[in-house]
Amino acid sequence: MEQKTLTYFESSGGFLGARAGEEEYTRVRAVRLFPFSDPDKYISIRVGSETGEELTVIGDMADLDPEQRKFIERDLELNYFIPVINKVISIKDEYGHAYFHVMTDKGEVKFTINMSGTNVTKLSETRLLITDINENRFEIRDVRALTPPEQRKLDLFL
Amino acid sequence: MILNFELSDDLRKQICLSEREEIYYSLPIDIDGQSRYTRDSFLVVSNTKIYVIMQGALERTLAIADCSEAKSHAHVGQGLLTVVHKGTLTVIARYTHGHMGRYAYVARGINILASGRTEHVESNEYEASCPKCGRAIPGTAKCPYCNGENRFASTLKKVAKPYIPQFIGIAVLMVLASVTTLVNPAIQRYLVDNVLLEKEPSKPLAFMCLGGMFLMSAGIVFVNVAKSFYSTKLGARISMDMRNSLFEKLQKAPLSFINDRRPGELLNRVVQDTRVIREFMENSFCNLFTVAFIFVCDVIFMLYINPKLALLSFIPAPFVVMLTVAFRKSIHRRFHLQWHKNDDASSNLQDVLSGMRVVKSYGNEKHEAARFLKYSNEYCRVQTRNECFWAIFNPMLSFLMGAGVFVVTCFGGRDVLLGDMTKGQLVQFMTYTSLLYQYLNWMTQLPRQLTALISSLERIDDILAFDRIPDRENGTVKTIKGQVDFKKATFGYRSYKPVLEGIDLHVTPGEKIGIVGPSGAGKSTLINLLMGLYEADDGLLLVDGTDIRSLDRKSFHSQLGVVLQETFLFSGTILENIRFARPDATYEEVIAAARTANAHDFICRTPGGYDTYVGEKGYNLSGGERQRIAIARAVLANPSLLILDEATASLDTESEYLVQSALSKLTKGKTTFAIAHRLSTLKDCDRLIVIDGHRISEMGSHEELIAAKGLYYELLTAQLQMQKRQEG
Repeated sequence: MEQKTLTYFESSGGFLGARAGEEEYTRVRAVRLFPFSDPDKYISIRVGSETGEELTVIGDMADLDPEQRKFIERDLELNYFIPVINKVISIKDEYGHAYFHVMTDKGEVKFTINMSGTNVTKLSETRLLITDINENRFEIRDVRALTPPEQRKLDLFL
Repeated sequence: MILNFELSDDLRKQICLSEREEIYYSLPIDIDGQSRYTRDSFLVVSNTKIYVIMQGALERTLAIADCSEAKSHAHVGQGLLTVVHKGTLTVIARYTHGHMGRYAYVARGINILASGRTEHVESNEYEASCPKCGRAIPGTAKCPYCNGENRFASTLKKVAKPYIPQFIGIAVLMVLASVTTLVNPAIQRYLVDNVLLEKEPSKPLAFMCLGGMFLMSAGIVFVNVAKSFYSTKLGARISMDMRNSLFEKLQKAPLSFINDRRPGELLNRVVQDTRVIREFMENSFCNLFTVAFIFVCDVIFMLYINPKLALLSFIPAPFVVMLTVAFRKSIHRRFHLQWHKNDDASSNLQDVLSGMRVVKSYGNEKHEAARFLKYSNEYCRVQTRNECFWAIFNPMLSFLMGAGVFVVTCFGGRDVLLGDMTKGQLVQFMTYTSLLYQYLNWMTQLPRQLTALISSLERIDDILAFDRIPDRENGTVKTIKGQVDFKKATFGYRSYKPVLEGIDLHVTPGEKIGIVGPSGAGKSTLINLLMGLYEADDGLLLVDGTDIRSLDRKSFHSQLGVVLQETFLFSGTILENIRFARPDATYEEVIAAARTANAHDFICRTPGGYDTYVGEKGYNLSGGERQRIAIARAVLANPSLLILDEATASLDTESEYLVQSALSKLTKGKTTFAIAHRLSTLKDCDRLIVIDGHRISEMGSHEELIAAKGLYYELLTAQLQMQKRQEG
């Protein structure tokens, strides 16, 4: 893999910019290669807003210096929004749809999923990815960490 | 789709609109700057300004005059609205996917305002959830649950209208069925009280009672058979009517209506939703009035015979209903889960079987077997658990259903012993009680069936009520010479995502135009517009100086010849397929057309000649042969406007030669639009246009474009190099 040494900065509009020697890119995008299994490793840095040419792949975010890392994390926040559910308040199923009311790391939210089809994907035995009717995604990191009543509510989807 | 959400008065006060300012759009912002969900936050766009309100407070105001290039970006799980504000790209709102579509429209709206125009952008897309009740909407314009009741009645009325006599007939049968059901216990009572318990039972009277009971029982069978027969027939007729009107409507609706829906969805509406109606008619409707009638009479009779006992026997009813509903709900959940597990196991099996070559070649059999075993075990576990549950709780429920009868036996028996009630009355009463509970059970299932029916009716009505059908039946009929003008034509399948923008093109009659460009640039879209399958969102498309929209559809299409990359042959003979464009063509004309299309010779070689059956289950024609039939079709129509969309793309060299020579005969003297990837096939064209980035980027003859060294030149050299490499 051809790697360029890049320095990152925040461009005037609040986006991620990168400098490679003489060259300067005012807008680059950080793309996770393993968004679920290893979100902080293997970050592809690509030119432009529509994920153009790849400039480099950051092997591990931990290797970056804290300030540089912050810039990239900020861009990742703009690119990914997958709330993690940590409390199930209620699930109501009615005529083919399930109505969720949950607490996530991003705040409280209600959403609806279609019961038919594959809207609840098992990433592993205990990890779920839920896609709602609008294609928002929600993650449950560890089903077993939920209380037994919460798990029973989820029973239909496990 | 709502683009202008209601703002509370508090929020409204935050933005002080100037005099000539009016709110165009207002959308919720539901993700804040810290990447958390937020409320009371809105993006408000007036004709001159963009306001960003975060958590009830105005945070930012941008003048639209300073903004350009508004765009909604779809990222993972969220969207960003960006504008270029005073030369700097900046994010102005973050939102979840539920609002993605709205923001795309509003971005277009902002761009329109920024360009100095004032029109509103509107969205014809449907909401995914009901803004009123929050339920998911089954792909229809209106929420069936909110408007359900009224619309349900009106739709049902519309459906039932032509069948009023049949409905009355069935209603009469229903009443007959209830009468026979209710009279039988009365005869039983008479038999017990007035015959059997007499000191000297009269045999003739006993036989008369038995005869009466037999007649009633036999009568019930006949009435029920007749009732089911007529209900089924009526259900089938109504669902057939609906299928036909749906089909007719779908044929008339513009293509965009069909493309806007998920594949299979319309099929489901025609096939499945009409089936739901039929099943409802068969299973529920035919018993609906019988049950209601019996139920009411039953209660009245019981109250009449022994009011105290009647009230006592009603006591368990609410508990039984509650328990049944709860039991059914639990059963539903359990079996849904079982179905899920079964689905997992079978899709895993399907996966492995269809990928068997890969599995075997990587030697992964053991691993796959273990995986299947896991799914299989899981299914087995759930199934066992469910069957146990069923085996334990079902008898309990039946026991509960009989609870009313126990109460009656206990207290009624006492009444008989005390002499307050005759023995016959007790027998009659017990029969009525069991009837009551039986029908109570039936009625608890009704809400679910009604909801399925309402949902289906709504989905059907959604199509039937669609009224944006372009009316071109009464358009101008005229002979087309073949002049075509695109004037600033703009079009997108989703109106917020233009595929073609500002297309200007003047084509004189008889001119051959070649259309070139990368995939997805909009070449086929241009052709779709010309074929009248879609209408331009903006700008004009003129044929011989007349707006294509005001031309008579049928007459226009009869003068249009089309050869596409993949020719679709309908199930039928070759003759029928060639005649598709002109069903009244004579045999001579058909043969002449086939000769021109270089198709006559291969047709002669098929076993059935022109009568050879082709299509889905018919004789297998090669791609080149199909193309030539399509050309024969076009020759027969003798169109003045020809459209060739990659007509030779998927052919081998020899077929390509035959098709190409047929095409050159066909296109002589006719206005022709040809799309091709292989640029060598366009060498006969008078003019080439290159479509790139939604626009015509280059236009001119082959030589001119080569001299210009633009995209065409690049494409051409790339293809030549590839050819050389293949040859070398």
